[in-house]
Amino acid sequence: MASTLLLERHHFLLRRLHSLTGIAPIGVFLCVHLLTNASIVWGLLNKSKAEHGHAGVATFQHEVDFIHSLPFLIIIEVFGLWLPIAFHSILGIYYARSGRANTSRYAYQANWRYTLQRISGYVGVLFVFYHVATLRWGWTFLVPGGTKWSAEAAASTMAMVLQGGDTGLTAAGVVVSLAYMIGVSLLVFHLANGLWTAAITWGLTISVAAQKRWGQVCAALGVGLMLLAWSAVIGFATLDVKEARGTEQMLRSGHAPPPQVAEGAPTGTTSIGGGH
Amino acid sequence: MSQHRVIVVGGGLAGLAASVRVAEAGLPVDLFSLVPVKRSHSVCAQGGINACNEVARQQGYSEYEHFDETIYGGDFLADQHPVLEMANWAPKIIDLLDRMGVPFNRTAEGKRDLRLFGGSLFKRTHFAGATTGQQLIYALDEQTRRYESEGKVTKYEYWEFLWPIIEEGRCVGIVAQDMRTMQVRAFRADAVIMATGGCGLVFGKSTNSIICNGAAAARCYQAGVWYGNPEMIQVHPTAIPGADKLRLMSESARGEGGRVWVPRKPGDTRAPRDIPEAERFYFLEEKYPAYGNIVPRDIATREIFDICVNQGMGVSGENQVYLDLTHKDPEYLTKKLGGILEIYEKFVGVDPRHEPMKIFPAVHYSMGGLWTQFTKGSYNPAEPRPKHKSGSPAPLGAEVGLGMQLGAINNMMTNVKGLYAFGEVNFAYHGANRLGANALLSCIFDGLFCGVSVVNYVRNDAPSKNPASDMPASAFDRVVEQENQKGQRLLATVGQGSADAATNPYIIGKELGDEMTAACTVVRTEPRLEQCLKKLGELKDRYARVRLPDDAPWSNQSFTYARAVGDMLAIADAVALGSKGRKESRGAHYRPDFPDRDDANFMKSSVARFDAATRSTTVAFEPIDASLILPTARTYGKKDVDSGAKKPAMAGAAS
Amino acid sequence: MTTATHLPPHAAEAARIAAANRARAVPGRKVYVKVLRCDGPGKPSRWETFQVTVERGSNVISMLQQIAASPVTADGRKTTPVVWDSGCLEEVCGACTMVINGKVRQSCSCLIDDYAPAEGDTITLEPMSKFPVVRDLWVDRSRLFHNLKRVKAWVPIDGTYSLGSGPTESPESQEQRYVMSTCMSCGCCLEACPQFNIEPDQSAWDTSFVGAHAINQARLFNEHETGKRLKAERLDALMSAGGINDCGNAQNCAKVCPKLIPLTESIGVIGRAVTIRAVAKFFSGR
Repeated sequence: MASTLLLERHHFLLRRLHSLTGIAPIGVFLCVHLLTNASIVWGLLNKSKAEHGHAGVATFQHEVDFIHSLPFLIIIEVFGLWLPIAFHSILGIYYARSGRANTSRYAYQANWRYTLQRISGYVGVLFVFYHVATLRWGWTFLVPGGTKWSAEAAASTMAMVLQGGDTGLTAAGVVVSLAYMIGVSLLVFHLANGLWTAAITWGLTISVAAQKRWGQVCAALGVGLMLLAWSAVIGFATLDVKEARGTEQMLRSGHAPPPQVAEGAPTGTTSIGGGH
Repeated sequence: MSQHRVIVVGGGLAGLAASVRVAEAGLPVDLFSLVPVKRSHSVCAQGGINACNEVARQQGYSEYEHFDETIYGGDFLADQHPVLEMANWAPKIIDLLDRMGVPFNRTAEGKRDLRLFGGSLFKRTHFAGATTGQQLIYALDEQTRRYESEGKVTKYEYWEFLWPIIEEGRCVGIVAQDMRTMQVRAFRADAVIMATGGCGLVFGKSTNSIICNGAAAARCYQAGVWYGNPEMIQVHPTAIPGADKLRLMSESARGEGGRVWVPRKPGDTRAPRDIPEAERFYFLEEKYPAYGNIVPRDIATREIFDICVNQGMGVSGENQVYLDLTHKDPEYLTKKLGGILEIYEKFVGVDPRHEPMKIFPAVHYSMGGLWTQFTKGSYNPAEPRPKHKSGSPAPLGAEVGLGMQLGAINNMMTNVKGLYAFGEVNFAYHGANRLGANALLSCIFDGLFCGVSVVNYVRNDAPSKNPASDMPASAFDRVVEQENQKGQRLLATVGQGSADAATNPYIIGKELGDEMTAACTVVRTEPRLEQCLKKLGELKDRYARVRLPDDAPWSNQSFTYARAVGDMLAIADAVALGSKGRKESRGAHYRPDFPDRDDANFMKSSVARFDAATRSTTVAFEPIDASLILPTARTYGKKDVDSGAKKPAMAGAAS
Repeated sequence: MTTATHLPPHAAEAARIAAANRARAVPGRKVYVKVLRCDGPGKPSRWETFQVTVERGSNVISMLQQIAASPVTADGRKTTPVVWDSGCLEEVCGACTMVINGKVRQSCSCLIDDYAPAEGDTITLEPMSKFPVVRDLWVDRSRLFHNLKRVKAWVPIDGTYSLGSGPTESPESQEQRYVMSTCMSCGCCLEACPQFNIEPDQSAWDTSFVGAHAINQARLFNEHETGKRLKAERLDALMSAGGINDCGNAQNCAKVCPKLIPLTESIGVIGRAVTIRAVAKFFSGR
């Protein structure tokens, strides 16, 4: 009861914060995160990294190292990510409960997106939780093969998480990879469609034509992010773990300096850049 | 504060205008309506609302001209003073509606746009797209809602008026029934305003809404209220024939340039666009060169009826003529007439921008209604005009109280004290024929102008000494008991087995409509009216044996309908007897056996009175106030024109 | 503008299908009308099927009238006439709204030829689901009107005395306001809205979603010179619980609106207005 009143009293602020957190930091983070992770694929174009072996693995490791070099990483993580995500998720679920999907009767495209926005929200929350719990909090019992992701061997351990071990893609690995595929796809949709609705909510797009134009922009962004997301998942799911390990070893022992780890962050378990 | 209350029955334009006016004066209002007030029949008015305006004024038009046109259009049957007051108030009413936010169409400069309408050579009709009535009632609905949210108006929606409570010679309340719970109860009030509209359903299919059965007026009539000019029923010349109703095609279609024609060759099977100009008979334009297609409704109706029924020249040999807008720019049409063209397109499935519409006349409006009184204003053309103390006369149209005395308690009061009738349900203003776009005006005018009379009556007359709230309950309980008994009698018939065709209320209602349409609309003859009265007698007998299909104690619509059929029969009687008694032709009332207007004997109101003891109707003709404009022949400059087609040998009496 | 030539794509498509059905419909055929009936609040619902004869131009209303005059089901069982709400039968009063073949619309403008063109076809009628059923197809839409009070959908004039003309207005503005003002409170937008759901508890009406129709009315009056005076109050109402933020942008409202009112546009306009108001309030405190 008290919580309902609180929600009603600050109704507008909370609604708009919900919308805002979806765009920044969460939406912005998702873009950066997908771009980073997709480096397992686009890194192959990075000729300068090829000398260490797999250029994608090297580029990805480089990106992870950069993120881990950021100061006060845990603070950034908690306040910049985990709390906003928790806020967005909890309120989102609360708000979504007020709706009753009716696509069976009104099968219009925008109505499907409305429904999918809510489904993607629910699934997205589960997926993000699984993702963070297994890779960041070390709940390895949820990972087939029990792989613990490591920031120093970012690409190889990530590939093992998706593949279910280091012996190539297992059946369980297929399940995990597919879950990732679905999870990231829904999150990308959630962001792109959320951007479209936010523009109406905030009053940026008004006319049908403006909403259509902005919809095309959002769709283009969604397609771009989707390509990044899929390339990352496929990239890791098909990565040769042994080759990746070799590259990572070469990076650690070779020309590249060892990564600087932020103070207070236990080595090998903290990352916001890689694999989440 | 005062314990006085006022009841308004009916939530259309008249009812809402009255509610707002009375509530504003500080008297709490109880507003009763069969439907949520926003859905009242006023929404169906399409064309516009008349008022003198600056553009017309500077071309020689004035409020007095508007008054003159209304009297002339009504064929000199209306009491003249109230009409003068209404015409004088029209510009004020437009201003008020404008302030309420009605989206009147605009000129480039942002002023209110005007259109030409039947019965005038001046543009004096204000309009909001093609749904002016809808827009006006929404504006009043919004203001009523505002007062409702402030607690000044209480709405009783889905409540049906059953009977007025008349005690000590005045109306002190009503009995009404909740159409959902079927609860019957009395409501006390110091004045009751009937604003219940017309009675189109008495004619079966009409342009009226399904709620316009005239039952409320009929109940007042049976309770002793007189009914004026019942025979004056307007048949609109242009309606779209349909299975469930006849949908109006607004006069504005003609006002915006629509042309009425039939092929010169009867039964011509060619598509309309393949018929060359020379082979089209624009009969209104040829017969009435001055007014052309915008002759008043009764004339247009009769001419269309004559072309189809008597001359057999209807399109495809059926009762229909073309109403053609295809020569106009479709964009322009959409802008000016979008709403009504949409109706045609929606219900017929043909785009009237590209193919002429097929139309035929349909019952549309009742000029007649509950008999009402008024107190003459100060204007008397025989005497010098009263002068302002400065010595110069006030400008005629701007002065209040010239036609009717503002606030006189009997303005639009029926013969029953404290029982008022506003809008279409009264018989004032429109005489024998209503001009297009005058109905919205008369409804709002009644509410605003005569609302003041109601307030004065409550504050200064009988109710101030003996308010209804202090009266003994027995008077109210008695009428509740009477209505409960009526209801129980009807409901008890369900147990007597299924109705056959003779006792089915829906079939009785349909036969009533068919008979009234055939005998009492465009053409009325003595023998046909005699036959009609016989048929009504038969229907009344059958109604006494009516059997209902449903005795549900909850939301029983067939019960509501069946009860109304009994009241519709009473109104039908008055219409038929009025038609029979008026042995002349005037306005909408056309008697081929008496083709001329007879001012000596019939420039009088027919007043129907109901005798409760014998349940019979008598009609008397009573003098009217015709002191301002002398009657002249109402020809609209008609010329005799031959259609160019060979007239069928059996061409009827009506020419 | 709302004409056949200017119809938005979804309406043009519907019109095309309807016209094609109409072209092949045979007058005098028999079709079935399947009605979801209910004797009153709290009573169970049941389906009843009737057989009716269809003539050219028959609509759902004329079918229901046929049933009322002779209330016998298709399997010959005697029953009571079906109860429904109707008024103008011209699609300007909004009364006869119901769910036909699964979609909400007015029953008067629903031609049987468009929906059941062949002998033996079935057309289904259900009451609107977002409002409490009174009986059969008749529902109680009081909440819809109540919500108009929440957004103060009126012009606050000084009273009904004549005080000169209203503000001037450009033809463009009039055209825009006119379309918005043709809203007949039928409730189609609410029936199709996934965010507007039945609320039996009247005390919760003020905090549950107000609906597209009310948001549109708020815009209509905000855009009137005098109506503007209440703009702040209207926006405050729409910024509170059940206001504009409860819109989920499914946009069904604009798809089912029989008057083709640009409801989603109105939602965008009010969205912008509340954003500006929130910022202004934050900085100016008013």
